[in-house]
Amino acid sequence: MASESARMSSAAEARFRVQAPNALPRVLKVIALDAAGQAIIERLGGAGWQHATFFTATAPDRLRDLTGRSRSVRDEVDAADLVVLVAGPGGHAHAAAAIGEACSRRRVMTTGFVIGAMSAPERDVSRTLAQLRPWSLMVVIAGNDDYIDDMMTALRA
Amino acid sequence: MLRKEQNDLLAETGPGTPMGRMFRSYWIPALLSDELPDNDCPPVRVKLLSERLIAFRDTNGRYGLVDEFCAHRGVSLWFGRNEECGLRCSYHGWKYDITGQCIDVPSEPEASRFATKIKLRSYPLIERGGILWTYMGPSEARPPLPEWEFVTVPSSQSFASKRFQESNWLQALEGGIDSSHVSWLHRGDLDSDPLFKGARGNQYNLSDARPVFEVVESAGGLYIGARRNAEGGNYYWRITQWVMPSFTMIAPRGSHSVHGHFWIPIDDENCWTWSYDYHPLRDLTQAEVAAMRDGKGIHVRYVPGTFRPFANKDNDYLIDRAGQKAGRTFSGVEGIAMQDASLQESMGPIVDRTKENLVSTDNGIIMARHRLLRAVKALTDHGAVPPGVDPVHQKVRSAALVLPPDVPFTEGGREALIARPAVAPASV
Repeated sequence: MASESARMSSAAEARFRVQAPNALPRVLKVIALDAAGQAIIERLGGAGWQHATFFTATAPDRLRDLTGRSRSVRDEVDAADLVVLVAGPGGHAHAAAAIGEACSRRRVMTTGFVIGAMSAPERDVSRTLAQLRPWSLMVVIAGNDDYIDDMMTALRA
Repeated sequence: MLRKEQNDLLAETGPGTPMGRMFRSYWIPALLSDELPDNDCPPVRVKLLSERLIAFRDTNGRYGLVDEFCAHRGVSLWFGRNEECGLRCSYHGWKYDITGQCIDVPSEPEASRFATKIKLRSYPLIERGGILWTYMGPSEARPPLPEWEFVTVPSSQSFASKRFQESNWLQALEGGIDSSHVSWLHRGDLDSDPLFKGARGNQYNLSDARPVFEVVESAGGLYIGARRNAEGGNYYWRITQWVMPSFTMIAPRGSHSVHGHFWIPIDDENCWTWSYDYHPLRDLTQAEVAAMRDGKGIHVRYVPGTFRPFANKDNDYLIDRAGQKAGRTFSGVEGIAMQDASLQESMGPIVDRTKENLVSTDNGIIMARHRLLRAVKALTDHGAVPPGVDPVHQKVRSAALVLPPDVPFTEGGREALIARPAVAPASV
């Protein structure tokens, strides 16, 4: 008789996997830290995400949503399961520290997303990384900006 | 999470499939050279990318990889006689050369040209670095020969093995770029495995089970950096290379050899896990090679006479619950290779990615899928040569480095991430 592992890893047994949902929706807050990031969130904002909302950092403790309304960093972080910080090279991601600190206090996961890095001088990338790294538990440097769409889909946003 | 059609697209590599076309853009490892040790030695069955083939080495030492079945009545040429520069079918004596060309049909008149009209599908098979490589794509697009550093160093500096894995290639590859599992699944092996222990970098690993990850696109694939705190405010980086479609090189440890994998589809539900170790500057020691043959490091012990791991699904991977409870291993399975394979096989032949719940630290996996999908689309839509075909993309190294906190690892490790002859690997 085949071992339990042999039987249970067969294609035939895959039919009996429980079909019930195995997770609740997660809430993503995508925050642009600079002009490059803002262009990305404006594009993303029109794509009909179910569990993601988009903001631009306007002051250390303030965000602006896509309708132009002002929001507090603390309130948005409180409601988040994951905060994605989006910035381009050049070191204009000053708001990363305040938002990151709020995430750290609330134990909210953070991902730093550097866009346009492949065509930028390394010194500029380095500046942005220095701002994002202390506050990002994951950093992504992608060649194409459409990667963020795939990432959000993969995370069920 | 992937949609079902995306999952199918990436998982299926048979003839005529988009991902199959992409794999057919590369030289891929087919056999160990030792499997065809002598001229006129017995032929070997090979199944790759869902095609059943037969490999043989003819009287003049030339390698052939052809359709497994005789064009006459469909008999397997595994029963054939390998003699006088060809493989002769045991049924009626039809004979084929290494190109698959039929060169003799004994039942036809002596001067008949019938044999010239019979040709089996064949693929080139070349030896490089102790491995026989094949290219299964169109001849007009045949790429330059493989230039991975481990196949270009003297044979005394390199060791390669392969093992049969009972899962789709992609879930095996994804295990190879999923750096966040190392601190858990393999935590017991850093201090005990002879091919890992003793490196200073191991202490950084063991003292920080929650590294921070950075994923950066490279020309051929991805750099996956795992960052831990080091002395003086610096960062200890372990940088893994992934080169498309399925090559990885794991960051080295101390003065140990450097290692990594290829995952090559056999069919959609099985793959070969190729594992290599090499050192760019020195011979591997007898002790190192003995340990590799004994299944240490990323290698395995086999069921005798096969490439099937000795611990496999039929014996529940020899799981040791007492060892798990006592903390000798995290999962109860011995050895890094089978710790990985046991879990990847448990997902089923092709994991249903519509059900998974990825998290932010899975960005290496998400990005790899993104790049594969993009490359497949570019190949299908425009015939674009995929990343990883260019030998420049293959001349890479992994690295373990300590860097200041504001330095991108691609900048601080710029030279370390390129294979340079006679230069030591960057390792801690």
